[in-house]
Amino acid sequence: MTPEPATAGSRTAAVARNALAALRGDPRFLAVSTIAPLVVVYLLKVFWDAIDTPLIRQAYFAVPGGAYMVHFVTYILTAIVLVRERVAGTLERMFINGFRAREIVAGYLVAYTVLATIQCVLILAELSFLFDLGYDFLTMLEVFLVIWLLAVVSMALGMLVSNAARNEGQVFPFVPLVMLPAVFLSGMVVSVDSLPTWAQTVSYIVPLRYAVDVIHEIADGGGLLGQVGPLLLLPLLAILAVGFAARTLREDL
Amino acid sequence: MERVVTVERLVKEYGPVTALAGVDLDIERGQIFGLLGPNGAGKTTLIRSVIGALRPTSGRVSVLGLDPLSDRWELRRRLGYMPQTPALYGDLTTRWNVAFFVAAHRRGDTESAVDEALAAVDLTDRADDPARTLSGGMKQRLSLACAIVHRPELIILDEPTSGIDPELRATFWNGFRELASAGTTVVVSTHQMGEALECDRVALLHLGDVVAVDDPRHLLRSSRARIRLWSGGEERSIELDDYPNQLRALLASEPADRVEIELERVDDIVLRVFRNQVKKEGTTS
Repeated sequence: MTPEPATAGSRTAAVARNALAALRGDPRFLAVSTIAPLVVVYLLKVFWDAIDTPLIRQAYFAVPGGAYMVHFVTYILTAIVLVRERVAGTLERMFINGFRAREIVAGYLVAYTVLATIQCVLILAELSFLFDLGYDFLTMLEVFLVIWLLAVVSMALGMLVSNAARNEGQVFPFVPLVMLPAVFLSGMVVSVDSLPTWAQTVSYIVPLRYAVDVIHEIADGGGLLGQVGPLLLLPLLAILAVGFAARTLREDL
Repeated sequence: MERVVTVERLVKEYGPVTALAGVDLDIERGQIFGLLGPNGAGKTTLIRSVIGALRPTSGRVSVLGLDPLSDRWELRRRLGYMPQTPALYGDLTTRWNVAFFVAAHRRGDTESAVDEALAAVDLTDRADDPARTLSGGMKQRLSLACAIVHRPELIILDEPTSGIDPELRATFWNGFRELASAGTTVVVSTHQMGEALECDRVALLHLGDVVAVDDPRHLLRSSRARIRLWSGGEERSIELDDYPNQLRALLASEPADRVEIELERVDDIVLRVFRNQVKKEGTTS
């Protein structure tokens, strides 16, 4: 029997399966990327107990912190992974064997979304264990959705950065470039409204800002729909970044 | 004979650097075709133009009747490529590596194709081991399996046997010969004289141009050798330009405890042919 020719879908699935298998084959990488953010969230709790202020509510403080960790880790993981394939020559081999750029990007996105979903669940479980969030199950699901969407944006951004780098070392300057402005311009530390106008304008391109907007709305007792704009902008940003990543993933650098 | 690869006046420039300076080349079906030349001669740029991995500055390339850029994906179903470095997933098993690369072409039942490719490179008994546990030579074999698993009509190998032992090299070449006799066209870039002589035809490349294309037994026939003689702890080095005819006379007149013969290398021959050609052009013009 002649095997059926591959389709775009089957190739994407093959890339995703391959990326997941590679993750499973590298347990140290997997463990560090899962456990490190949990440790940092625990430090967040230590920090919270030390500042001991009645002025800020726990959910206002802790959930954006957890979201930031997911943002950080998913961004770095995907930024490294594609560049690693380029250096190893397997990216070139994928192209020459007939995998298209969009299938490679989509396949990696699917695979790393599995990892990101696990990270989101673990971080949320830790947050609700350490902090007194006062959320019911439905509200937790809403928070999960926001952080998960942020993770998808982060992964797409990571791949975009990966495409601009020729080796692992070139990825590193992009890490603070994206992650540090996110701390100051997202509303996580100080409210965006209290920033100077130019900084408020820049904050529109910071994905974490939209997640924090929705997270604060949920903490204020409003539902997801209280911040429809930011909620819709997250998947829109994700689609844009994924599309751009697929366009910029070049065979010949 | 059917032409599988046709290259006409191919030029590739990287800014001020000319990597290919108007290459013309024809490769026929079922041939083992060698690309020879020193580093920087343009072998890899030529290979990358043929597989559609880079856009030439000018000129025309046709591979299996297709344009490598506009018909890239159709071409890649019918083409196999083995890069210089193995390019494998070290944490994944030998079998998985091969199965992944064939998944670009086939859906569903790929088992038999994978089994066949692993058997062809004699790695069946290592199928379930992670690729990183294989020896250097085994990794090269696995890399070859990944390149042939979809049974391509044209296989392009970029220095496939660099850094592997002579016995394994012979096994590789038996495999290439089998593929060629079954109608597959094999294009190999190499620096090794032994490999070059195994080819049906070779092209000598230098400074981005084809210096000569011919049967390697004609083109690479060289009578130049450096003979090193040791006698009584003293070493002498003598250049012969009619080796081996002059060797007997030399050894009769220069008794030695130990003799080493260093034949002219492929890259030296390419340079010599190139210089002769330049000289000839200089005198005719």
